[in-house]
Amino acid sequence: MTLVTDSPVHSSSSEDFASFLDTHLTSTASDSSANEDSDGEEDLESKRVKRHKVEVLDIPENTHEPTTGAGTSKIEDICAHPGTFGNMCILCGQRIDEDSSVSLGYIHKGLRLANEEIVRLRNADTKNLLSRKRLYLILDLDHTLLNSTLLFHMNSEEEYLKSRADSLQDIENGNLFMLEHMRMMTKLRPYVRQFLKEASQLFEMYIYTMGDRPYAREMAKLLDPRNEYFNAKVISRDDGTQKHQKGLDVVLGQESAVLILDDTENAWIKHKDNVILMERYHFFASSCQQFGFSCKSLSELKSDESETDGALAAVLRVLKRAHSLFFDELGDSLPNRDVREVLKTVRKEILQGCKIVFSRVFPTSFPAESHQLWKMAEQLGATCLVELDDSVTHVVATDPKTEKSRWAVKEKKFLVHPQWIEATFYLWKRLPEDNYSVNQL
Amino acid sequence: MFFHIILERNMQLHPRHFGRNLRDNLVAKLMKDVEGTCSGRHGFVVAITGIENIGKGLIRDGTGFVTFPVKYQCVVFRPFKGEILEAVVTMVNKMGFFAEAGPVQIFVSNHLIPDDMEFQSGDMPNYTTSDGSVKIQKDSEVRLKIIGTRVDATEIFCIGTIKDDFLGVINDPATA
Ligand SMILES: [Mg+2]
Ligand SMILES: [Zn+2]
Repeated sequence: MTLVTDSPVHSSSSEDFASFLDTHLTSTASDSSANEDSDGEEDLESKRVKRHKVEVLDIPENTHEPTTGAGTSKIEDICAHPGTFGNMCILCGQRIDEDSSVSLGYIHKGLRLANEEIVRLRNADTKNLLSRKRLYLILDLDHTLLNSTLLFHMNSEEEYLKSRADSLQDIENGNLFMLEHMRMMTKLRPYVRQFLKEASQLFEMYIYTMGDRPYAREMAKLLDPRNEYFNAKVISRDDGTQKHQKGLDVVLGQESAVLILDDTENAWIKHKDNVILMERYHFFASSCQQFGFSCKSLSELKSDESETDGALAAVLRVLKRAHSLFFDELGDSLPNRDVREVLKTVRKEILQGCKIVFSRVFPTSFPAESHQLWKMAEQLGATCLVELDDSVTHVVATDPKTEKSRWAVKEKKFLVHPQWIEATFYLWKRLPEDNYSVNQL
Repeated sequence: MFFHIILERNMQLHPRHFGRNLRDNLVAKLMKDVEGTCSGRHGFVVAITGIENIGKGLIRDGTGFVTFPVKYQCVVFRPFKGEILEAVVTMVNKMGFFAEAGPVQIFVSNHLIPDDMEFQSGDMPNYTTSDGSVKIQKDSEVRLKIIGTRVDATEIFCIGTIKDDFLGVINDPATA
């Protein structure tokens, strides 16, 4: 049987009433404000002058702020319309349908701000944050803080997980969750709780995911059940301004004070220098498959990343170092500091003191200094040499029989595979050379 | 502002509701359907207070449903430009604050918060005067003035200001 919905009748009497109210109330409102104007014109003028003096210091463009807001049509005419809520100007209340502003729906439904207003807020907010000795930290969800899978993608070897899911009544103490209404299972990355707790002392944190809004909100609940960290700072793909790209244009922080943790560098084409690339966390088999790995997943092996020596613990050390460099060791005045430069310094500390010689790693005619590995080693703080001498600490090679390789063995220097440099670069720490010996690989 | 007005609606009723409880069934359905909804330009229907008149039913071809035109008295709530409202703060951030008066969502931009109140971020973001005597945070009750309304078929949005005499916090949750 079909349900027929009731159709409201617009009786002429009630329509008349609504329009009567509209006209009557609007006219009284403007009447009263007109009276106010003539009564207190002098007053109004002096107030305006006073405010002008105060504001000129930091917000020079903001000279036309209304004093009462309501009704004074002169003000509406010159309003810059800094933003809208429900398609009305947040300053003069005027209806604005044509809108080129940026949607900030992740903060509140219906809120949009003009670009200049975002810039103004961003400057003020960054200043405030820096004075509290904090920076911005933007966190990706999938493969960075957690791993999710659809239930029907789970194979028989993962079936055991379904009975091991932690209670949604006690999220704080769990790390594996069954979200039946989304037909999903989510595993939080080991160490994530400690990571968020410590990072929140140093950073104002945002979540920024390519997932949709309902997913982003659900994950935020798992990561932040007490709503201490991400209140109104959860950005999903529904909130971005460009498809398949993440951008800082909806984030209210200056680029020079933002760090980003993400496993996908290409999502941040315009902000690569802000990104700390994360080693991907694959817990479920479907996730490994999606990225073309044929090996067993952590879930199938009934294993997991190390809690104390995993990627999040490592990156937390990097973040702490960057934070302390930024606030405690830089000589410039606060607004001139740039966390992107700091990040480069942190990276340079990783292989400080290492002297590296490459042996037949580059094609013979290739200019060594412009090779990716050479550049990585230098960005890590190592010195790269062309010829062997006593001060050399590492020989990088793929073949143990080259002359330089044999020299390294004889002189008891490290002989490592090029992957040692790559892994050290991406994991932000000097990895044990023994795991990258040339014979082994 | 609240208004007591008469509205009209066509109600469709399934034949199983006919009989001597027909009128009660109609009224019960009307309340369920209408109360708490936003009725176009009239605003939110808060409560039905009485039935004016139930017209003659019209049988619909093929379905057996009968349509009754019902005139009813009700209290509606609709904010107007220039009106002073009391509202509860739901969210505070650097852009300003959001507040609710019943089902109405109001935004007060930081441009329309008095200049002597400054934004303080942190666990409980708020706007506070320099001497700390007045604070606006989540759950504060504020008196504000509406400077713009948009009434949709299902929602009402308002822009408010507290930058005027006698506006601002009327009840601070911290000291309550
Ligand atoms: Mg990711
Ligand atoms: Zn405006």
